[in-house]
Parts: sequence; structure tokens; C-alpha cells
Amino acid sequence: MIASMRTVAASVAAVITSLCAGAAQAQAAAPGHQALTGAWDRYGTVNLDPRVTSAPPVSAPPLKPVYEAEWEAQQKAAKEADARGQPQFGGYAQCLPDGMPAMMMAMFPMEVLQTPGQITIIEEAYNQVRRIYLNEKQLPIEDAEPGFWGHSVGHWEGDTLVVNTVGIKEEVRFRGVPHSANMQIDERLRMLSKDIFEDQVTVTDPEYLTQPWKFTWKYVRKPGYKILEYVCEANREYQDPQTGGIRMRIGAPGPASSAPAPAAPKP
Amino acid sequence: MAGLVFAGLLLAATGVQAHHSFAMFDHDHQIKISGTVTHFQWTNPHVYIDMDSTDEQGQFKHYTIECANPGILDRIGWKFNMIKVGDKITTIIAPLRTGEAGGLLKQVTLADGRKFGNGAPAGKANIE
Repeated sequence: MIASMRTVAASVAAVITSLCAGAAQAQAAAPGHQALTGAWDRYGTVNLDPRVTSAPPVSAPPLKPVYEAEWEAQQKAAKEADARGQPQFGGYAQCLPDGMPAMMMAMFPMEVLQTPGQITIIEEAYNQVRRIYLNEKQLPIEDAEPGFWGHSVGHWEGDTLVVNTVGIKEEVRFRGVPHSANMQIDERLRMLSKDIFEDQVTVTDPEYLTQPWKFTWKYVRKPGYKILEYVCEANREYQDPQTGGIRMRIGAPGPASSAPAPAAPKP
Repeated sequence: MAGLVFAGLLLAATGVQAHHSFAMFDHDHQIKISGTVTHFQWTNPHVYIDMDSTDEQGQFKHYTIECANPGILDRIGWKFNMIKVGDKITTIIAPLRTGEAGGLLKQVTLADGRKFGNGAPAGKANIE
């Protein structure tokens, strides 16, 4: 009798232990779980999982007609500059980072870190870092200091991380699309499988857009990858003062170069 | 083969998002240059090889060759120290459209015979 009671007690203890372990696991797997932590690559060109389609190309921005005409003209000018072999001098050649939302295209590998109260996303290209503060109220837009990555707050809705970003400098443009200081970027991040997650992006800006601009990016885990440092330095591309296009300096700086110094721009 | 075609289609569909246009280089008229490395710059946003070359007609030129960035090159097997001043190398480049002695790297053959490309966005060599 006593022996059987001991057995029952042991079984109950085992069940309680397993329940506790289950609860701990459930907590770990609950919203806010660590699945996003790690290194990621843009999904679509490598490590394709036949069960998960790659994200469609980013759609054209639904700009208001006047801005759309300007944007189309600017796209056309860029194409013509390329055709002349004098590509336009843009942000990258000036060592400027993407900012938001372009950073999330993950041109190079990306790292996500989940810590209490914060999710940090690091993009290898241009050492870009954005911090998403969890369960905080968003700032009034007029109080958000304009920057490249803005001010982001987020919270979990079930398995989806919902993020709102404001405070993007008007000069920081994704695909050359103009926007106002009041632009808001909403994102919904969720795991699609153990090793793939998506970011559904919605850009809202009634001053410039006829409707919200929506697109999706997907990412595939890059196990064991260590993000490299990226300092934009000593770029030999420069802006041709005559054409405005990109030129490349011939010859290394310093005595190693045997080439003549680049000609001074003509007045 | 079908896999390659499929991968190609995917690349076309998703678009290889490079840092910038490669339109200042003439990809259709690639040239081969052999010579001696005078400088190797392992930096972002571009790695650069400077080399001195004397062609078969005895014409000396100093070339500056733009490569991808350390990240892209690391991921296709390059190392920051695999090219050194004084190394004899051969490169295939898409030359600058301006006619200046420079270009975009398509392929480099090191002194020990190893060959390296310049990553997907820069594209492949179309000569040998």
C-alpha cells in the first residue's frame, strides 16, 4: 500500500516536473520567443524551401499623380544615365546607409537579437542597426527626431511581431520614392517555418501616396554566420563635376601608385 | 542544368540588388591584363586592386580594378591577404567606358593558379 502510494507520489511528482518543464518551454516558445535571434539572408535566391514561395518583387509605389510623374521621370533619367555609361551618383557612393525601410531588403546578411524589452536588427551592409522597443508607446511624430532608421516600437500579437516606425528623414528614400515627415512604416514579422521568416511592410503616407504601399520580404536562416564589420572608407568612386555621374579614380592613394593624379576639374 | 536555368530565372525575378549600377563599365568588351600588384585595398564599399602591366607592344599602363566588397568576396572564398604587393596576377575586367586604365573585375588568376570570380552582382567573365 505504502509502496504503491510512493509510486503514485513519484508519478505525480514526475507529472508536475514535466508540466513545469512544459510550461517553461511554452513560455520560451510563447510570443517573444527566441526564434528570430540569429543570422539571416534574404530568401529567394539561395536555400529555397519548396514549401515556401519567395517574396514577389516590390510593387511600384502608389504615388499621387504629380509625384508619380516626377518619380517616373527620375527613373527614366537614371536609366538614360546608365545607358550613357555615366550612372547617377547616389547615396551608396557617398557612403550613406539605406535607412528604413530599405535596410530590411537585407542586401547583405542580417542579424536579429532578442533581449528583454528590445529587438535589435543589424544589417551587415553599412553597419546598420535598428532598435525596436517592445511594449512602449510610439512617440508623437513631431517628437521623433528624424533619422535613417527612425523610432520603432513593437509588440507581439500571437506569433507576429507588430512594429511601427516613425521619424524617417525625408532625404532617406527607398527606391527614390519621396515621402513626408509623417510617413509611417508598419511591419508584421512572423516565422513561416523553422528557418524562414517574413516581414510584411506597409508604408503609409497620405501626403504622397494614394493608398498604403505594401510589400513583403522573406529571410532564411544562415546558421553559424558571423556578421562582418562594414565601414565605408576610401571609396574611389566620385562624382564627375561635368556630368554629375559616377567616375572611378585611377591609382591608389599614396606612393604605391605609379599613375598620374586625377586631372583637376575644369572650371 | 534545369536547376541552373531555374536559379537564373529566380535571380531575374527577384533582382540582384547591387549597391549601384555597373554601367560605367563595358561588360561586352572584356579585356585580359597580366602584371604586378602595386596595391591591394581591402575596404568597403569596394575592394581595389592596383596593378602595373606592360602589354605585348611594350605599352606600360597602371590599372585600377574595382572588386565587390569584403563580405561578398569572403562568401565566395577570397581572403583579405590572398593578394599582396608584388604578386604576378592576371585579371579579366570590364573596362571603364571612359577609356581610362581601369575596370570592374570579372576574374582574377593568382600567382599560384587559383582563379576567383567577383561575386554574382558583378557578373562573370565572357573571355578566357
